[in-house]
Amino acid sequence: MTNSIAIALAVARKDLTAEWRTRELLPALAQFVVLALVIANFGFQIDSHNAPSIAPGVLWMALVFAGLVAFGRAFAAEREQASLEAMLMTPASPVAIFAGKALAATLLLIGCEAVLLPALALFFGTPLSAPIVAAVLLATIGMAALGCLFSAMVARIRARELLLPLLTLPLWIPFIVAGGQAVQVAMGAGGSYDQALALLVDFDILFVVLTSLAARFVLDE
Amino acid sequence: MNKYEKAALGAVALMLLAAGAIFLYAPTDALQGSVQRIFYLHVSSAIAAYGCFAVVLLGSIIYLRNGSLAADRLARAGALVGLVFTTVTLVMGMLWAKPIWGTFWAWDARLTSTLVLWILYAGYLLVRRLAEPGRQAARFAAVVGIFGFIDVPVVHFSVTWWRTQHPGPVIVNDALPPEMLATFLFTMACTLALAASLIAIRYRIETLADGPVPAVAEKASAITSNEPEPVR
Amino acid sequence: MSILVANGLTHWFGHEIALESIDLAIDAGEHMAVLGENGAGKTTLLRILATAARPTSGGLEIMGLDALRERKRLRRRIGFVAHAPGLYPALSAKENLEFFCTLQGVARERVAETLALVGLGQVASRPAGQLSRGMQQRLAIGRAILHDPKLLVLDEPDASLGSDGPELLEAVMHDRTVVLATHDHALANRLCRRTLVLRHGRSVGTATRLHIVQ
Repeated sequence: MTNSIAIALAVARKDLTAEWRTRELLPALAQFVVLALVIANFGFQIDSHNAPSIAPGVLWMALVFAGLVAFGRAFAAEREQASLEAMLMTPASPVAIFAGKALAATLLLIGCEAVLLPALALFFGTPLSAPIVAAVLLATIGMAALGCLFSAMVARIRARELLLPLLTLPLWIPFIVAGGQAVQVAMGAGGSYDQALALLVDFDILFVVLTSLAARFVLDE
Repeated sequence: MNKYEKAALGAVALMLLAAGAIFLYAPTDALQGSVQRIFYLHVSSAIAAYGCFAVVLLGSIIYLRNGSLAADRLARAGALVGLVFTTVTLVMGMLWAKPIWGTFWAWDARLTSTLVLWILYAGYLLVRRLAEPGRQAARFAAVVGIFGFIDVPVVHFSVTWWRTQHPGPVIVNDALPPEMLATFLFTMACTLALAASLIAIRYRIETLADGPVPAVAEKASAITSNEPEPVR
Repeated sequence: MSILVANGLTHWFGHEIALESIDLAIDAGEHMAVLGENGAGKTTLLRILATAARPTSGGLEIMGLDALRERKRLRRRIGFVAHAPGLYPALSAKENLEFFCTLQGVARERVAETLALVGLGQVASRPAGQLSRGMQQRLAIGRAILHDPKLLVLDEPDASLGSDGPELLEAVMHDRTVVLATHDHALANRLCRRTLVLRHGRSVGTATRLHIVQ
């Protein structure tokens, strides 16, 4: 067990070191989410009245597509370098390797959220409060588990650019619904924030457990 | 006539009987008129679709546990047939919704989760097609099949606080007139029989499609074993 | 005594047969070369022997263990150099090996001596992406022997290794059982006592110190 944790941390550190040196993904992701906000502005005719009702939707759309890119890259890069197989040829547990990859991808997406949330507050005049951050972070956990599982799967399949969103988006809906509800309430809409947050925690537990059970079948030949 | 042709013929005959019951025996609804007759097949095919996806779930779990090829084929057959019944459910539901709700579509929990169901199992079939045939395709699809089945109640549950337009389960708690109830139960039995025979036929097709590989492999090894043993 | 026994290894890619009924027995410490045209099934066979792929049918026993079931235990004792080096370009040569030490569960002290053995001691801190093709190949070979495997499976390791490639391979193969795929008949003869020739996924035959005149 301690060994598996050490392996997961080594895998995550390897990915984050590589990202720190090449700065391949995070700057592009940050630019992408800011652009998404700019595009939304033209699509919705935003003013100070409708901004609080539109902002949550824009936030989740930007996050979902940034997440698809971040999680997709997590395993696509390994595939391009043919290094995934080298990792899997070691006696290290595939679940530990998967956990490490997922951890690194999650931290990258959180880095992207660190740009997205202030930018949203700036452009839409919405509050940047702890409840909003909490809801986004909780949703990120479950979305990362699912996103990385299917990223690992499609990295070994043809036509993967197409398949990742097709498989991942339907499974992300619960997080978008509950997270969206939480953020709407935090931005002034009616409803129960606690209920939405409790649901997010439930979904996180459910899908993190399920993905760690399934990772073995996706990664092991 | 082989047993698959008999099963197909029997299922078609049953569906024609069900159609007779729906249009000739069941009374016309007082409020909605004749359009309410969509109800029988709409609900029946939804139940058949759930049944098919339960078969996918079961086949997937068994396959991941012990690698049984039969379980994998069953899952494949269930997914395709289930997708057909989901399509029927969605289309008939929309046709029914237009005159009654005034719109083809409403974003309520049941419609949304049924649509997600459709997308997930379409993804299942896509994974089957795109992954490397054999072990990889079977494993990956099994994972999608399991996640798909679990995600649907979760989606349903998560969107229940949205405005619900779709009626609840009328069969259990509502006073459905006895003729309507009888027609519904008969239609449902016929639809389930249709689904079962479709799965059986599809299973046979999948078996035949898998067939050549092991068969030729046996033949091939028979040829080489006639040659002098290459290595000590 | 045989360290690796394969019975009727057969592999299908969809409806294409890649490998057909290969029988093999390799003794401990033996070096065996696999020759064949491109597409003859060399890589498929090596991937199966290294437990990186599963055969469609057939049996494989390595070191007395069923290789299709006991993959995890076997991988501690198998080193595999695949067709592509599979390195992390942003990490240095040393960091690449250190990472795999963690995955293999071996001490990091192995890294320095391995780098010296494959002749990369001078460039240990250079990013793998900036190494030449030959150096990357050396690094991949180094990674395959980090955990001191008893069985080494090498898929065309001589590609772009340079003039001292054979010496390096000799040093790496010393004291190990080796299966080596190559196009280079002279190299096969120099390094391996026995050669297996594949054509269209079938074994055409084996020979000892084969001299092929085409």
